[in-house]
Amino acid sequence: MSSSEATPVESPKPVEAPPKQSQPDAAPKLSGAEIKKQKAAEKAARRAQAAKEKQGGAPAPPLASPAPAQKGDGPKAQKSQQKRRGSMSTPKDIPIRSQKGIVVIPEEPKKEDKTVEFFRHLYKPRMKGLAGAGKDAHPAVLALGIQMSNYSICGSSARLVATLQAFKRVIESYTTPPGNTLTRHLTSHVLSPQIEYIASCRPISISMGNAIRWLKLEISKVDIDTPEADAKKALCEGIDVFIRERVTFADQVIANSAAEKIRDGDVILTYAKSSIVQHALVKAHEDGKKFGVIVVDSRPLHEGKHLAAALAGLGIEVKYCLTNGLSHNIQDATKVFLGAHAMMSNGRLFSRAGTALVAMEANDNDKPVLVLCETIKFTERVALDSIVHNEIAPPDELVITGGALEAWRDIPHLQLCNPMYDVTPAEYIQMIVTESGNVPPTSVPVLHRLGNESQG
Amino acid sequence: MSPPQSGHAPNLSVFKKSLRAQSLESSIENLISLLKRRQIKNSRPCAIATAELLLRVVARFRWTDIGKLLARIQEVGQRLIQAQPREMVVGNIVRRVLGMIRDEAKEDRHEDMSDSASNMGSPHRRLERATLSGLRDQPPPTFSPLRLDSSKTTPPTINTDKDSDDVFGSSVGGSRPQSSHRPPMLTSHPSYAHLNGIPVQQSMFNLLSATPSPLSTPPGAVSPAGKTTFDAANLAYRVAASSKDLKAEVISGIEEIIDELDQVDDQIAAYAQEHIHSNEVILTHSSSVSVQKFLLKAAEKRKFTVIVAESYPNDHEATHAAVTGKLNGGLDGDDMSTEKFLKPLSSAGITVILMTDAAIFAIMSRVNKVILATHAVIANGGLIAAAGARIIAKAAKVHRTPVIVVSGVYKLSPEYPFEFESLIEYGDPGSIIGYHDGALVENLEVDNPVYDYVPPELVDLYITNLGAHAPSYLYRIVADHYKQEDINFHNPELLF
Repeated sequence: MSSSEATPVESPKPVEAPPKQSQPDAAPKLSGAEIKKQKAAEKAARRAQAAKEKQGGAPAPPLASPAPAQKGDGPKAQKSQQKRRGSMSTPKDIPIRSQKGIVVIPEEPKKEDKTVEFFRHLYKPRMKGLAGAGKDAHPAVLALGIQMSNYSICGSSARLVATLQAFKRVIESYTTPPGNTLTRHLTSHVLSPQIEYIASCRPISISMGNAIRWLKLEISKVDIDTPEADAKKALCEGIDVFIRERVTFADQVIANSAAEKIRDGDVILTYAKSSIVQHALVKAHEDGKKFGVIVVDSRPLHEGKHLAAALAGLGIEVKYCLTNGLSHNIQDATKVFLGAHAMMSNGRLFSRAGTALVAMEANDNDKPVLVLCETIKFTERVALDSIVHNEIAPPDELVITGGALEAWRDIPHLQLCNPMYDVTPAEYIQMIVTESGNVPPTSVPVLHRLGNESQG
Repeated sequence: MSPPQSGHAPNLSVFKKSLRAQSLESSIENLISLLKRRQIKNSRPCAIATAELLLRVVARFRWTDIGKLLARIQEVGQRLIQAQPREMVVGNIVRRVLGMIRDEAKEDRHEDMSDSASNMGSPHRRLERATLSGLRDQPPPTFSPLRLDSSKTTPPTINTDKDSDDVFGSSVGGSRPQSSHRPPMLTSHPSYAHLNGIPVQQSMFNLLSATPSPLSTPPGAVSPAGKTTFDAANLAYRVAASSKDLKAEVISGIEEIIDELDQVDDQIAAYAQEHIHSNEVILTHSSSVSVQKFLLKAAEKRKFTVIVAESYPNDHEATHAAVTGKLNGGLDGDDMSTEKFLKPLSSAGITVILMTDAAIFAIMSRVNKVILATHAVIANGGLIAAAGARIIAKAAKVHRTPVIVVSGVYKLSPEYPFEFESLIEYGDPGSIIGYHDGALVENLEVDNPVYDYVPPELVDLYITNLGAHAPSYLYRIVADHYKQEDINFHNPELLF
């Protein structure tokens, strides 16, 4: 999708536009007030129903099946509706996900828990639009949140850069209220709600966490006596420097260093799309190297298609296959380049679901696996499997329009699971290419410490 | 080619119906074109179609001797295999039928021999029988077709019972008049030691051993040496009777194979409860009737969780349909009632989790068993399965998770290719990059394998309708089901 440079500094505006032409398609004639009335009526009916059931021991005959579940879920659902309605004058979601048409009528309460047991600790309700966003959220952040949740900004570094740029605008438009200092007020009262909102759109990535930690530290280091304008300017410049040093330059260094590893006649296999792998391949191509690329991809995001299109557009020989063709194509590859979401401190790679399969196959066929990763993505966290820490994307993303799965929620005991990441064991990784040099996976904690110490 | 089917997409059931109406040759052509167009695909429909067709071939073939019948079936089998070499079950079924015919013929002759060995006291009868067995291989062409025709119209009353194998009935049917004058067993007569130019061992050992030495010669090699005077009419009658009877046996043998194909999944499912226990997490891939029946059987007694990898982009629709219970007959390309009404696992109270193929490694650490369906099994213990099965098996190996393969014996192929790539079929790249992707269609090379080869070291257990076996044992089952001489019948250059 968007690479780390092509990030949406200016793009928020087009996304902000939709709320004005609020009612999308479902029932264009209803005004906000009418909807409110309709919802209230429905809610009242449901309450009456629940109350009736409580009184009479036996469930009401016609609506026997949905009623018991509703008893448990009902109040919660109502509450969230209430909250949503309270927040915005136009209580309409923006239709971001094509799979899920937005309906005016509130959804029936869920009949059963559709979350997968292994991942139940990871499920977080995802914000699907502007409705429900806190009124503190800055417009730039609102737009960013939407772009993140519909994957138009996707990828660890792109999200990091976009977040920092949005925060820069938050800081620019910030004025310290009287009786407060920037150092004490900005983080807790302005930045935190923004972070909260972004996290509610899509869980914060590890690199974003690192950057936010750094930004908070920077803010806390601002002298109380510094005039507000100067402090803001210093912070904004700090953010620029941070992006330049930790992402833009780091990317260049990594791309150069990885491109050096490519020789004429190589076939580089890569999985999904990583902006930094793309940089490295483009760099090698610009250096005049003749090599082929195999892009392995998977449902539901099909990110690799964008990479394949970009590379094929440059005239690189590209082969594209899905995970089902992995074991056939790995034999043709000479090197495997992988991008990272994060590097764990125990040397494991945390990356898009499917990366571990690619690394496993590469290892099995004795192909070297190189991970391209900026040190900003290093974390002190550890992971042994992909279940303890992961991100669960909405299961409806797996539904193919017109396919048999469309009504999956109505089928009892059927669950869809759509984890975003998996953890690749350290022994599958031969080398990590970072801006601080090429290191083995065992050196991740060392580099992480060095990076943090230099940061102060 | 295939006749216009009124409003039906040609599939297995349409083919079955057409079998009755069409002439044999057009049926063969019809099946060939159905296989080529992949309108009959997947193992079971192919197997059933092949068996049904061979049944027709045997029934309509005016055959005079075993050799010609074998040659005819080999010829038909060869054409079918050439039509779709990667549907290995077609070859398997042809080989099964060939082997069965050889067995029947051998049994027949064996009876003659054991007969003759035990009926030393009646030289005339013995001689006649021995000549007969030779004759059946190379009959005098002048009269036998005629006799056969007559035998078709008026079936001989000697032996109408299909189940009893013996034409002359002396070894089993002790009540028959011929065997009433059975002499003492141990008398040996030197003058009969060489009959038909073949030394006949006459010892106690020979009596006890199951296969007398003349039978170790492959059929067709026995040449009738002694054509002594005999009652020609009587002989012709017997030839007709025996071949008629053999025909019935062969047909019932093929019917048995068809029955086996119908029941195989239920037989496999009978082992389910031995292998699946409460609260297990089972990972399976793609959709398969065998696996689904297996899991449903286990679900009768136990509650467990099934994770289904969807096998995108070739089988995901079938997988989704199987998971949601909307099978509508599209799964195996036929609408056999049992498959049509197969209920989804989730309705049996099992939690079913559908995941993408990419998420397999992430979830594998929580999986207790992997159960794979197969397209074909190779004699070395490896298997051909839906693409993606190999990385699943490998991920399971990495996590030390046992991999169980559920497969009917009919999928077990005696072929052993030295280059496994030749078994892999490549599918439509349009299902990966469609024309809606615009320029990509022209700029990208797209790879869409339909099958994967899973090497035997990644499989822990095979469950077939005969029980559970280690992959290393499969060669024995192959040896039990196919005759050595049939293995390479379709490419004669490999016959040694």
